[in-house]
Amino acid sequence: MVNLDSLFNELDTIAVNPRIALDKYLVSGKKVIGCFPIYTPEELVHAAGMIPMGLWGGQTTPSVAGQYAPIFTCSLLRSCLEFGMLGKYQGISAALMPMLCDTYRGVSGAWRVGVKDIPLIAFIHPQNRKLAASREFLAAEYGAVKTKLEAIAGHVISDAAIKNSIGVYNAHQAAIREFCEVANDHLDVVTPKIRHTVMKSSHFMEKGAHTAIVSQIIDKLKQLPIHQWKGKKVILTGITGEPDDLLDLFAENKIAVVGDDLAQESRQFRTDIPKCGGPLESLAQQWLDRTACSTVHEVNSSRGKLIVDLARKYGAQGIAICLMKFCDVEEYEYPMLVKAAEDAGIPSLSLEIDQSTMNNEQSRTKIQSFAEMI
Amino acid sequence: MLTMGLDIGSTACKCIILEDGKNILGRAVVSSGAGTVGAQKVYDEALAMHSLKREDLGRLMVTGYGRFSFETADNQKSELSCHAKGIAFLMPTVRTIIDIGGQDAKALRLNAKGMLDSFVMNDKCAAGTGKFLEVMAGRLNLQTEELGEWDAKATEEASISSTCTVFAESEVISKLSMNVNLADLVAGIHRSVAKRVAVLAYRNGIVKDVAMSGGVALNKGVVRALGEELKTEILVHADCQLAGALGAALFAWEELCKQA
Amino acid sequence: MTETVAQKPKRPLPKSRVMVAAQTAKVYQDAWDAKARGEKIGWSTAIFPQEICETMGIPVLYPENNAAAISAKHLGDDLIAYAEGQMRYPMNICSYARLNLALAEKIQDPAYNTADPLLPSPDFVLLANNSCTQLMKWYEQLSHNLNIPIFFVDCLFNYDEEKPAAYKVTYIRKQIESYIAEMEKFSGKKFDWDKFLEVQKRSQINSKLFDDIIQLNTRVPAPVNGFDFFNYMSCLVLCRGKESTTEIFKQLKLEIEEHIANGTTSFPAKEEYRVHWEGIACWPNLGHNLKTLKNYGVNAVINGYVTAWNIVYEPGNLDSMAYAYATSSTNSLTTETIMNMRSDTIKKFDCDGMLCHVNRSCKMMTFHIFVGRNIVEEKTGVPCSNFDGDQSDSRVYSEAQFETRVQGLVEIMKENKEAKNG
Repeated sequence: MVNLDSLFNELDTIAVNPRIALDKYLVSGKKVIGCFPIYTPEELVHAAGMIPMGLWGGQTTPSVAGQYAPIFTCSLLRSCLEFGMLGKYQGISAALMPMLCDTYRGVSGAWRVGVKDIPLIAFIHPQNRKLAASREFLAAEYGAVKTKLEAIAGHVISDAAIKNSIGVYNAHQAAIREFCEVANDHLDVVTPKIRHTVMKSSHFMEKGAHTAIVSQIIDKLKQLPIHQWKGKKVILTGITGEPDDLLDLFAENKIAVVGDDLAQESRQFRTDIPKCGGPLESLAQQWLDRTACSTVHEVNSSRGKLIVDLARKYGAQGIAICLMKFCDVEEYEYPMLVKAAEDAGIPSLSLEIDQSTMNNEQSRTKIQSFAEMI
Repeated sequence: MLTMGLDIGSTACKCIILEDGKNILGRAVVSSGAGTVGAQKVYDEALAMHSLKREDLGRLMVTGYGRFSFETADNQKSELSCHAKGIAFLMPTVRTIIDIGGQDAKALRLNAKGMLDSFVMNDKCAAGTGKFLEVMAGRLNLQTEELGEWDAKATEEASISSTCTVFAESEVISKLSMNVNLADLVAGIHRSVAKRVAVLAYRNGIVKDVAMSGGVALNKGVVRALGEELKTEILVHADCQLAGALGAALFAWEELCKQA
Repeated sequence: MTETVAQKPKRPLPKSRVMVAAQTAKVYQDAWDAKARGEKIGWSTAIFPQEICETMGIPVLYPENNAAAISAKHLGDDLIAYAEGQMRYPMNICSYARLNLALAEKIQDPAYNTADPLLPSPDFVLLANNSCTQLMKWYEQLSHNLNIPIFFVDCLFNYDEEKPAAYKVTYIRKQIESYIAEMEKFSGKKFDWDKFLEVQKRSQINSKLFDDIIQLNTRVPAPVNGFDFFNYMSCLVLCRGKESTTEIFKQLKLEIEEHIANGTTSFPAKEEYRVHWEGIACWPNLGHNLKTLKNYGVNAVINGYVTAWNIVYEPGNLDSMAYAYATSSTNSLTTETIMNMRSDTIKKFDCDGMLCHVNRSCKMMTFHIFVGRNIVEEKTGVPCSNFDGDQSDSRVYSEAQFETRVQGLVEIMKENKEAKNG
């Protein structure tokens, strides 16, 4: 019988080294499409019978990416470019890239000259979302993506297949949301790192398979007695809460993560794909329904309210703002987030997220001081 | 009952021996930092000064960058909490503390009870830190301890515009070659540090009184420039450099009381 | 984009420059007057469809242009520090945005008068993201901080080489139509389609005229110091649809033709080398840039930035206008497209090299430089040199580095010339 630890280990292996998962899919004859974060219509890849695989960079000090990416490129896209240029993504048939920020605009050019063996399928989300025209536009844009994916898959992607994949994705989101709820009753078992691993691993697996594992984890957690957590609790917000060492610092200081608004984690899983005309319209509508995200244009962003509500709902004593260095869309929202926390009387902590440096000493001091303070 | 606070910083180690959580019995400073013999040296010196042994200490608390690697310690605490604690003890009216350390700068805000309420730290960058001052002093062939005196002799502050340490260094070199007065250059360097740190302080919010802690507070030039940038008087206690160690000794005392 | 070149002119300003100053002053004054009358005034991104507010007679000012002007006068540092300190904006976001977000808060105090030129506080903002995505985040913050509405024309980004597909143009056209209807409602003014056509025609005349003027600098030696063009950009940003701009450009053209006829130039030294300047000006360091270039006899005869306002379309055709706004900005096109254009320009203007401003504030332009300089070097054979700087943040620039980079470029250009001349 499998136990929780072996389930967590299975996901951890994949989250720490996605290449293992990639190779497995390639050996089994599957085509794999790289999916740059976030809000890439993976469902279309899934419907084509191919594997969508998230590209989230990794902790590395870039050696070759600097040729095309200036030092003030966010480390996430810098390391993706580095890995691409070094051939670490070899075997991927194409990469889907959303033009969500200026760095993406720039990296799309860098990728084309630096990573010639992995064709780029760029696309763009409409930001003026209140007009009906924006849904028509995005459905057409996804249609263009679909055509390019069909060429790689070698067959047509049917509406029925997309509808089926939408079902798989909605079920997966629901499972992740349930996991996050159940995890809060077992903060002794679900450490910040494990919570992160469960969600991160989903980006490198076929979603149905991931749902199956997460469902098992939920069942096993539910069988355990509810744990009364005596330590502190926080909410994370930002692009990622990485690396694992950073999350371990929370654990070391007896701080549990009880909710998040991380682009790599819950932000992706909180908006279902609605039924709305054809399947492409449904996928487009999901984008129009998204809120409280730095990559989405919203007049008077609801993100400040969202993180404060999360903190209150789960009894968090603090909010950790995981600010990815040089991620301008996040940087613009930083004052708004600090203010929202301040107005709600919730202490906030700003942490610098940077994939290109291993030195966590400053974060260690900050997290320890925060734990001593809240 | 005696407690000891040991602050193992990146460029200096500081030690305080405290009696009954009230009276400072002994002080010691050694100007070599974490990862060196500095910690052991300052610890030995402080004990020797009062002919004490380890057993005489009720509790030993360490703080600073080297806080995880001092084996005989009873506990460790972050330097932010310790600086807040130490300054609140030395100057109870203080609500905002600016601490410029060897490799980072921090702004701390205390609540009315003297407890740490919020803090911000610099980015991973040398600008606005003790390291920046050290590099610049080296370029001018001065000791960092001399910078404060030179600042007082300035008549027309030289402008150092670059934030980047490497660029600022080249500005200093080019100004030297243009025969800009040394004192004016020093004042300009202090302005550059003050501007950078003022941003941090403003970001955290300024509530009076405002104090500086840490070794850089001994540099009157930085205190002057920072006061001008923040448009407020900056209090500096004679024991400013020892505030972290003192805070650690106070925390040690509190823990001791709790145990009892 | 501003009237103040840091270097003090030795001779009286040419008439065209006096006209620019007067026009700019009038635009600001009109906005202040309207504000005083209780009318609504707006702030707009630089490449927004200005034709609509121009048609409706609603005053609009341009923060990018304003930030450039303030920076060139060395008045930006305190605002930038305020944005990073009291307002908590990270130092890595665009310096125009930092400066302007601070200014927007400062001017709420009627006694505030440190910045120059001073803008009246906006009642609405006009946002087009064709220059970059940061504009969208910046204007979201303006809207949030001041609690005012945004009128948004999402111009997309042309990530592929081919021309934007019809469904993209339709999306943009529908936004412009919706914006017109919304602005009618917001302002209580009726939109006059006949006048709109006139404004569109005027805008086309001005774009064409400016392009003609720029082309005059293909002559060797150039009749114009390339940096001078920065001074006329305000006409295109603030007054693209105004007749007064036509008058200024006609005057400027006369002045340049006079230089050509007399064999003179506004470049203050002997033109030894011609370079293409890539990127926005370093407004706070314009004086040092110019002095250094002059010392080495380098005329930056052309730059891509001043040509970004060449918004060409067929008046009366909204699809054509939508297409133009989707494709005119340097930053709305792929690196390959842009660098192919630059290569053509370098050949046409007979440039010996390319000097690229790695602008800390502008990620997109920097990527174009990093990714595209190979394209330029391969297609044109001219050397490229980068230097670090910023459009407003004076802390990023290093005088020593700039001089070294210019000198290095000059040495290569010299060798190339000597090799060519055998």
